[in-house]
Parts: sequence; C-alpha cells; structure tokens
Amino acid sequence: MNNIQIAIIGAGPAGLSAALELKKLGYDDLLVFDREDEAGGTPRHCGHLGFGMFEFKRVLSGPDYAKKLAKLAIDSGVNIKLKSTLTKVENGVLTFSTPEGTKQYKPTCTLFALGARETPRPDRLVSGTRSPNIITTGALQRFAYLQKIKPFERAVIVGSEIVSFSAIMSAKHAGIKIEAIIEEKDEIDSFCIIKYMVKYLLKIPVLTNTKLKNINGEDKKVTSVSVSTDEGEREIPCDGVIFTGQFTPESSIMQKSFDDFNFSNNSLYISQNFQAKDDGFFVAGNVLRGALAAFKCYFEGKKVAKNIHDFIRFKHQPELIKIEADENISWYYPSMIDLKSPTKQHLTALRLKRRAKGAIKVLLNGRMIYKKNIHAFPFMSINIPWKDIELKPKDEIKLEFVSS
Amino acid sequence: MESINLNHLFPTKTSNFAKDEIFDVAVVGAGVVGCAVFKEFCEQGAKTVLVEKANDILDGASKGNSAILHTGFDAPPDTLEHKCVQRGYEEYMKIKDDYNLPFLNTKALVVAWNDEQLGKLDAILQKGLGNGVKELDLLTHEQIMRKEPNLSLDAKGAILVHGESLIDPWSAPLAYVKKGINCGGKIAFSHEVKDGHHNGKYWELQTSQKPINAKVIINAAGLYGDIVDKIKGTQDFKIIPRKGQFVIFDETAYNLINSIILPVPTKRTKGVVITKTAFGNILVGPTAEDQESRTDSQTVKETLEDLKTKAFHMLPALKNHKVTATFAGLRPASDETYYRVSINDEKNWITAGGIRSTGLTSSLGLAKHIFELHNTRYEKNPKADEKVTVPNISEFAPRDNQKEGYGKIVCHCECVTEREIKNACHGELGAGNIGGLKRRTRAMMGRCQGFNCEAAVTQICKNEVKNHE
Repeated sequence: MNNIQIAIIGAGPAGLSAALELKKLGYDDLLVFDREDEAGGTPRHCGHLGFGMFEFKRVLSGPDYAKKLAKLAIDSGVNIKLKSTLTKVENGVLTFSTPEGTKQYKPTCTLFALGARETPRPDRLVSGTRSPNIITTGALQRFAYLQKIKPFERAVIVGSEIVSFSAIMSAKHAGIKIEAIIEEKDEIDSFCIIKYMVKYLLKIPVLTNTKLKNINGEDKKVTSVSVSTDEGEREIPCDGVIFTGQFTPESSIMQKSFDDFNFSNNSLYISQNFQAKDDGFFVAGNVLRGALAAFKCYFEGKKVAKNIHDFIRFKHQPELIKIEADENISWYYPSMIDLKSPTKQHLTALRLKRRAKGAIKVLLNGRMIYKKNIHAFPFMSINIPWKDIELKPKDEIKLEFVSS
Repeated sequence: MESINLNHLFPTKTSNFAKDEIFDVAVVGAGVVGCAVFKEFCEQGAKTVLVEKANDILDGASKGNSAILHTGFDAPPDTLEHKCVQRGYEEYMKIKDDYNLPFLNTKALVVAWNDEQLGKLDAILQKGLGNGVKELDLLTHEQIMRKEPNLSLDAKGAILVHGESLIDPWSAPLAYVKKGINCGGKIAFSHEVKDGHHNGKYWELQTSQKPINAKVIINAAGLYGDIVDKIKGTQDFKIIPRKGQFVIFDETAYNLINSIILPVPTKRTKGVVITKTAFGNILVGPTAEDQESRTDSQTVKETLEDLKTKAFHMLPALKNHKVTATFAGLRPASDETYYRVSINDEKNWITAGGIRSTGLTSSLGLAKHIFELHNTRYEKNPKADEKVTVPNISEFAPRDNQKEGYGKIVCHCECVTEREIKNACHGELGAGNIGGLKRRTRAMMGRCQGFNCEAAVTQICKNEVKNHE
C-alpha cells in the first residue's frame, strides 16, 4: 500500500489540466492514472480539427491536442501511470490492476476524471440482428484514426448530436459511405447550420422524424435498416450502423463503490467545489454529465485543482445539502451545495432531455424560490443563478421543469 | 486504410485427418451436447470425430442461455431429462476443479407473486422431493425479504432450492472438447453435413468440405437435428426453434440479488428468470417464442421492454442500472416436450434431439447415457484421467488481469487482457469467429460494447492470425 497525497484517475483533458495546475501550486506527491497505454483521453481518437482554440490559441486535431497536453504534463514533471485500471475503491483505498500486478494506493485526495462514452445499441433496446458492424462513433474513430481499419463500406448514422458530425468525418477518413443520418426527433439535435452543411455540402440525407425500426440481417451481418417516417416504412441498404451520442458518464466504478449515487446524473453528488460527500473525493470533467467539449473539461480541471488546493490547505470540511432534479432534466451541476464553501454563488447549470418550452423552477422545501421561462434544446446548457438565498443544513432543493 | 470484414477475421479451419480415415463414431454438432458426447466417447477409447458446420463450437443454440446448473427439482419426473439433468449435475461437480471451471452455489428461489402462484408452491415442493431433490424449503414473505431485501414486497412466498447454481456456459463445453482432443479426438469445423449413406460397413457423410467416414453417427445437431436425422432414412421428430430473448444489466447491479429468482413455471417454459451471471452481470430472460426460422435470432424492442418491465416489478432497484447487452438464443425444442434420444441399432445411428433449455446441465449425463446406449466396448483411452484446464473468465476465481505480465488490459469494461485475447486466437481450439472470441475472453461484452476496444481487439486478432499463418 502506498500513501500518496493526490491521485487523479483519468489522463484526459480534465485530469491532465488538474494535474498541471496542482503541479504549479507546488504539489509533487501526485499521480495520474490512466487505463490506456497513452495519455490524452478521448481527443486521442477524435481525428478532426477543432481542439485547443481556447487553451492554446491554436487549432489542433484531437490527437495533436492530446499529445500536446500529455507532453505539457510530462515536461512539468507530472507522473502518469499508464495501463492502470481502477478496479476497486474501498475505505479510501484505490486498487489498480496493472501489468506488474495489483497495486494499492491510499491518497489524501482523489480526483475522478473518468470521462464519458456513448450509449451503445443494447441500452437503446433496438430490434434486429446483432453484428460486430453495429458500433458507436467512439469505436469508429478508433478504427479510423488509431488502427487504420475500415470495418465496413456503407453505414447509417443514428442520432444527430454534434458528435454525429464527427462520425461523418471519421467515416470519410476511413472511406466509408454514409447513406443517411436518421433522427427520431423533428429537428436535429445540434445547431441547424450543421444540418445544412451535412445536407448540402456533404450531400448526406438527414432524415428527421425518422425512427429506427429494425436492423436487418442474419448471421452477424447487417444488410439494411428499416426506418419509419410519417410516410411509412422504408429500408436503407447498408452494412454498418453507427450509434452516436447519448453520452453517459463512465461512472460504473463510482456506482459500485459509493453508497450515495446520483442516478439523475449517473455520477456522484458533487458540490459547487466539485467535492463529493466522501472525504477527499472530487469529480470533474465529462464523468459529471456526458460529453462537453474538451476545452470545458480543461478549464474545469483547472478549477477543481484550486478546490483541491483549498481542501488540503484549510482541511476544508464541507456542510452539504443535496439538489435533486426531475426526469425531464438530463443533467445538472452542482448536485449539492456546500454551505461552508467560500464560493457563495449558487449557479446551477442544467440540460433538458428533449427540446421543450416551459419553465425551470427551483423548489426550496417544496416552495418555489426561482422560476425561469425557457425554450431549450437538449444540446444547450441553461444557467440558473439563484443568489441571495439563505440555506440551512436540512433544506431540500429540487429542480423541476414544467412544460407550457 | 485496410478493409477488414469483421465476420471473417479468423480463417476457415481445416481438419487434420486423412480423407479415408474411418472413425468409430462421428458426432454431428458442436453444441454443448455434442461437446460432452465427444469427450465421453474419446475418453472411453472410441476413435471419434466432432463435425460442426460453423467455424467454432457453440455457434448455435448453446451460445445463448441462462447459465444455470439445475438440480432437476422441476424436471418432468422419471423422464430421461430428469435422469440426465441430475447425472449431469453430479458429473459437473466431479470434474469442475480439474478443468478449472467455475461454480457458484447461489441457490434459487421459486417466487410466487400472487395467491394463485402461492397455491402452486406445495405441488412444486412435492414434485421436487419426488424428483429426489431433498434440499428444498418453503419460505414465507418475511423469510424471502431477509434473504433478498431488494426484491419487490409483492413476493408472497417461495421455495428455496439449495442446489441451483451458476456456471460459465462457454468455458465448460470448451473444456469438454479440449479433453476429447487431448484423448486423440478429431474435429472438423466448417464441415456442414449435407447428406450421407451407409455402404454396408460404415457411414459416409458428405459435407461442405471433405467426406467423413464413421461406423456410428451421433446426431447432436441441435437446431438442425431433424434435418440431419433424415439422413438415416426416417424422420422421427421435427425441430420447432424456440426463441428466447434476454436483457443483461451492468455489473453495477450484480449485488442486488443473492439467489437465482425463478418464477412459478407454466407448462411451456420455466418463465422469466432473474439471475446473476458468472461474468458479474444480472441476466433477465428468456422469453419463449416458437418460430419457423432456425437462424433468426433478432431481438424485438417491445419484447425487450416487456422483459425490463417484468424485471423491474420483481426487482425495483434494477431501474437504476444500465442495460449492457440484449440478445436472443434459439432453443432446439421439438414437437414434443421430452428429449428425443433414440438408438437405431440396425442403422448404427443415435439421435440426441430436442434438448431444450436444460442441455447445459444435462449434457454430461446425457453423454454417459448415450455411451451406455451405444453399448460397445473400447479400450479406455490412456489419457482419460489426465487433466486439461481452460482459462478462467468468470468472476468466481482470479482472472488473468490479476496475474502479472498480461501486457495491458484491452477491454476495460470486462478487464480482458491482451494476453487473453492473443491466447484465444491460437490453436486447434482457438476462436473461429468474433462470437467465439467473445465467448473465450468476454472482450467487447461489457457496458460500452466495443466503444473503447473493438478496433484494438480487431487489430490484435488480425496480427495474431497473420503471425501464426
């Protein structure tokens, strides 16, 4: 068993930027762990451009961004333990599986920066055949950019979040023809401009109001998908299906290890300081709420580093009250308020599961204390400032969405 | 960019025996029954060949089941099924440690969810006792809740079946085949039996590759059992494939139950089960849907939703957990409920057909039974008592990632190592397709379904296959 001061789990944008910041603050007894054999996290396989504008004032591809971030960390002396899979968290002890055997650490402070993944086919309960050619964007990116393999010839993309655009770029890179993008909702799940770019520049049909009914095929092969629209059912021939988006935190280890799990967010309850209820545990980055852009995780990592610094310096013991949310809300942050925190500004960020018009209400002990009328898209974060409210230790706070 | 067909990642296997070789016995079908029969005959000293149309074992009915080792408490009394289930259970207990096969005695609860079902419990208890299963207890609602605090309060009463247990449904048959090969048995993968005739001395089977000659044929062709049986000249039964859909929940749900939760059975099926698996998940299923097709194992959204709803009624806390996998298996049910096992001495033909959901448990017992039916003396194979082991992939014993030098973990959800994947690609019994690789390693079977590892696994397999050409 090794006693260390700080353990950071996950060497992606959030974990590495937290490590860099903590290093700057003078922390040397710090280890970053990652289960992959390369640091950098998800951007490693996002082969397209669009990274680093805010952090490095340059436009980088995902892999270049990941390399730059990892190099920065290593050059400033951050110790990154690769190929280390966290298998257990118990009584403050972290157990890792490593090629050199099982290793245990007892840190004073642990940051979970575990990242997120897309929801694959099973949890969406889709009818049809099974096949290795039914994959997610993440898997496609890894095929195209990391392994240089083209797994199929022509595919249908399911879902239209921003990541679907990445699926198109990855498919293009691998030489895979995209037959169509299908979306259940009546509008695409990202900014309209993307729809026009896809439709008119890339000449890929974007089929909204279109449900995936069945993946057709036999013997592990995909031959087509059946979709239903207002005009009826039709088949789109393809030999691959790419499920995109519906990001979900990579949080199983936390769900298994901690009693108090926030099922609305699929993550731990955390305060405005990114601090969990259990002593010395912090959470940051996309494991809090599915996928946000890398730069947001990067800046969140910096922020949480300062909170960890405060926790260690002042031995900060929080006084926490929970915030719950109803089922219309896909995620919200923070999910607790630390009454003793110097950060007094209570700002809640949230997203809705689907596009809707209505009002967000904040209830304090069942009484409405804040209301905001909104017209929200699932890809837009809504900020709810609710300052100047005196909170007491046993207060109950709930977020509600009421559609109009 | 290299195009790789994921369905042809592994080369078609060839057999390693001469075309004019004459076997004592040819076992048709490498499902769990075929694998167990192969082992038995090889051990007994018969010169045996296992003939399989797919490029791997367990490619048909045996790949999808609920992985329970049954006591036979609810088997139809005094039937062959009843006898073989209990004999199979005993045999499994005898050999499991030698083969490094997992076993977890979770026990099972047959739960009555309403008064009508409650009224049936006594009959089930009596049937169980009559079947020779002595360790049975009737539990009250309170006793159930003490054992299973997460179960719905609607549980009215239950029978506790002490012997019901969990095993690994894929490694066990792999071990059986490995043992057979160790005793000198031969395998012909990718040999689909098309036709055959008896030339007066032995059977000549025509296959999709080279012909196979054997004095006796044992038909264990599962979903194709009736078709293969026609070769002997008469057809005594018809296979009516019965689809069973399953929903597998993430390992986060694993500790929600302690026992296997069985329903009060109906005439047709044991009904929907909730159980842990040897791989650390919760399994819900199967449905029972008769169909014509022997290949259509598509899932249906509405049915999966229905399974989830039923499971949530029984185990409400399951709602907070994600679905890791959905799949459908086809059981080779026949036009009668009983096992269709028969011998035609005149034709030197043994049929083992219609082995439905209990095949995993009964296979070793069935193999003994079939050898007795065969009633021929051989000189026992000198290697019959030698041990062969298979790698453990279950959660009930240490796995490869707990032993040093594994390279790296490739599949993070299921903690599958590079070493495990490489080893699974090699040898006569190496994976023959992606499904076979999954069944040997669990790679890509976790909650992310290959988001993280499918590309890397593909690359490793491709290189391994190339390096061993």
